[in-house]
Amino acid sequence: MSRRICLAAALAIAGPALAAAQASPGEGGNWLIRGGTVVTGTGERLANTSVLIRNGRIAQMGANVAAGDAKVIDAAGKFIYPGMIDANTPIGLVEIGGIQPMTMRNELGQFNPHLRALVALNVESEFLGVTRMNGVTSVLTSPAGGIISGQAAMINTAGWTWEDLAVTRSAGIVINLPGAAGAGGGRGGGGGGRGGAAPAPAPSATDLHAFMKAAQDYDAKRTAGSAKLDLIYESMRPLFRKEIPAIIPAGGEAGIRSAIEFGEQYGLKVVIMGGAQAYRARALLAQKNVPVILSSIQSVPQGNSPYDEIYAQPGLLHDAGVKFAFSTGGGANARHVPEHAALAVAYGLPLDAALKALTIWPAEIFGADKEIGSIAQGKMANLFVASGDPLDMRTQITHVFIKGRNVPSDDRHSRLYQKYRARPMPPPG
Amino acid sequence: MHTLIRSARVLLGAALLMPAALAAQDLAIRNATILTIANGDIENGTVLMRNGKITAVGRNVTIPAGVRTIDGTGKFVMPGIIDAHSHAALEGGINEGSESVTPEVIVQLRNDDPVIYRALAGGVTAALLLHGSANTIGGQGLVIKMRWGTTVDSMMFKGAHRIVKFALGENVTRASSTAEAADRRYPMTRMGVDHTLRYWFTLAKDYDKSWTDYRAAARTNPNAIPPRRDLRLEALADILRGDLKVHAHSYRGDEILMLIRVADDMGFKINTFQHVLEGYKVADEIAKHGAMASTFADMWAYKVEAWDAIPFNMALMHQRGVVVSVNSDSDERIRRLYQEAGVGVRYGNMPVNEALKMITLNPAKQLGVDKMVGTLEVGKDGDIAVFSAHPFAPAAMVEYTIIDGKVHFDRNEANTLRKVVVPSPSPSPSGGAR
Repeated sequence: MSRRICLAAALAIAGPALAAAQASPGEGGNWLIRGGTVVTGTGERLANTSVLIRNGRIAQMGANVAAGDAKVIDAAGKFIYPGMIDANTPIGLVEIGGIQPMTMRNELGQFNPHLRALVALNVESEFLGVTRMNGVTSVLTSPAGGIISGQAAMINTAGWTWEDLAVTRSAGIVINLPGAAGAGGGRGGGGGGRGGAAPAPAPSATDLHAFMKAAQDYDAKRTAGSAKLDLIYESMRPLFRKEIPAIIPAGGEAGIRSAIEFGEQYGLKVVIMGGAQAYRARALLAQKNVPVILSSIQSVPQGNSPYDEIYAQPGLLHDAGVKFAFSTGGGANARHVPEHAALAVAYGLPLDAALKALTIWPAEIFGADKEIGSIAQGKMANLFVASGDPLDMRTQITHVFIKGRNVPSDDRHSRLYQKYRARPMPPPG
Repeated sequence: MHTLIRSARVLLGAALLMPAALAAQDLAIRNATILTIANGDIENGTVLMRNGKITAVGRNVTIPAGVRTIDGTGKFVMPGIIDAHSHAALEGGINEGSESVTPEVIVQLRNDDPVIYRALAGGVTAALLLHGSANTIGGQGLVIKMRWGTTVDSMMFKGAHRIVKFALGENVTRASSTAEAADRRYPMTRMGVDHTLRYWFTLAKDYDKSWTDYRAAARTNPNAIPPRRDLRLEALADILRGDLKVHAHSYRGDEILMLIRVADDMGFKINTFQHVLEGYKVADEIAKHGAMASTFADMWAYKVEAWDAIPFNMALMHQRGVVVSVNSDSDERIRRLYQEAGVGVRYGNMPVNEALKMITLNPAKQLGVDKMVGTLEVGKDGDIAVFSAHPFAPAAMVEYTIIDGKVHFDRNEANTLRKVVVPSPSPSPSGGAR
């Protein structure tokens, strides 16, 4: 990445202060990105189009937009893309795996719908800086563990506080339906507590149903004004009002069927998380309009499945009319989510659909599409400028804007890069 | 798939029993973009292989009658991908972890591991299968060609280096520090690793000298008594003589520099630093020692010693003259090493051909097989990957993988998802997400 070297170099010269200086959320004010090809994220490619950013939002787009007092970035010959989204990560909750104070994603207890990922996010997480540098401007960050893990949040990858990071404060509640994640081959609980969680008593479907019925009962009483406030049950009410989805890890056809049935039983909007073999239930998913957050495509196939099972699945889901989004499931590798999409394109997913699955679809799935997911007037200015298709490894990303702020490449990795690039070369011989 | 794979294996196995079917190793790919790695890219080019070797690469190549020809229109042809760090297809574990110095042991190949097939489907034609990283001086690895469906012996890459694994840092020491006191094992610190290396190479030098002295004495004294043979010290002596090449698992710059100084002092060479995540901090020292580097494209934060790993590592080491490869160390990444190499372009702007070298010529050098593979040049083995698009483009998919002029993976004949998937029963698709 060759961009904004000046600022990074200036930071490198700052020497010892460097270690303390974390990546900057960027320079605000008004910006005009002039004369690039805007790829809107909703299917259009607008040649020779400028984007004016005011007050953190896209104020105007078109061929002739006056800069006024805005700082100008020349995008001639370049492409302007909506910021990409990794639809499941632990960013902000987990830093170095295995070190307990840096790994606070799994709370004790089985029923934690009241826990909010957002309020526990470390705004100085090094993952944020390196992730946004590759054009990934938003991520879902989710809690894990127990049967009901808590509330995920859709956040930007730059901001001053967790409130500043937030796009959708509560983007859904993670419900680990006992048995669902394992069905169809076991690997699929991208966001769930399965796999990574500490050994716990086997979760019981009976317990979950008892909890759900009690929550429904509470909801009815509260509506009727006849129940005292209960923080745990109260946090379930947006689910029953379908304001936010239940995010249910499910691997294969059986797990997906039970997740959809569970949603219908309690009147919930369901998002499948994982879906290693979701293609086996694609007609049902399409019919019920249930979207899938795909767990890492950078995986190996289940059992004796065809070698290209994981790579080819997104194309099959698309053909069947299922809405989906890509996710890495990780913090350190969230920046590589466009490479996940590239694998899907190679094995049969149309490129435009891959871009949607990186932008507008995850925004829609998590109720954030009024703010992010495409380049459109009035939306939050989350976008990046690149020399070409972000799914092509040869492309260079030159500018990243988040909430209208021009974010410099002063993340941890760029700082180390600049520091050691500047090490004097040894004398010849 | 297993049934298909097994029957494919039986068929391939049967083919091998037939009298030397060299015609099966005659092959041409025409009208493709040829990424030669050695001599630039050739548009509308042809690669011709006879008897398993490349006999022509260029625009004006006459394909002899009767040679099977793949139409490469729109396709990209590159040397077969080489993975310089894998633990795939190893039988019964990868660590002889009972002691911290075990260069006498050798990993054992399990030739029917489906990972080999999946790697082939990602364009991989050769790999170094390494011992694990539990020991300061671990065991010896194997260099194989991915000749899926053949015997263990026929998969060996003849002429490759003999390679032994070293390891530094957390893996060598952590095994001990987390164990019960009674099970702890020296060394438990990086200090102890430094000393362990110096201690054993001091013994090895004495051992080697005792044999040199014996052989000298035996010339005049038929009754000279030979030293007692010690396979461990013999392997270490092989390292001192350069007959056994060192590939050293390493993370931090300090420990990399430490091992370089141990090698300098003891009189041996590090052939390749493996992982070498902070290689960018000591790239000049690595280059000066003459060592090479085989790293991850981007793996960090999974443990403390991986905290300063950066995706620019490849580019920075390359800029300072280190021969860099990007490896998988994973049954997953071995399927898409071409994508991993592309990270070197995205981060640090490596020239595309230099990035492609990281999965072809450079690992070939590290495995001692660069005279045979790693580029598309006349005289080299017919080891080739045919892609549907440029390997760094989003549409890049491997269509054919060829070893010694023989097609070992053919996407048209492979068991793909779209071929096996049964149309989902009604309800019919509603097209909601178009």
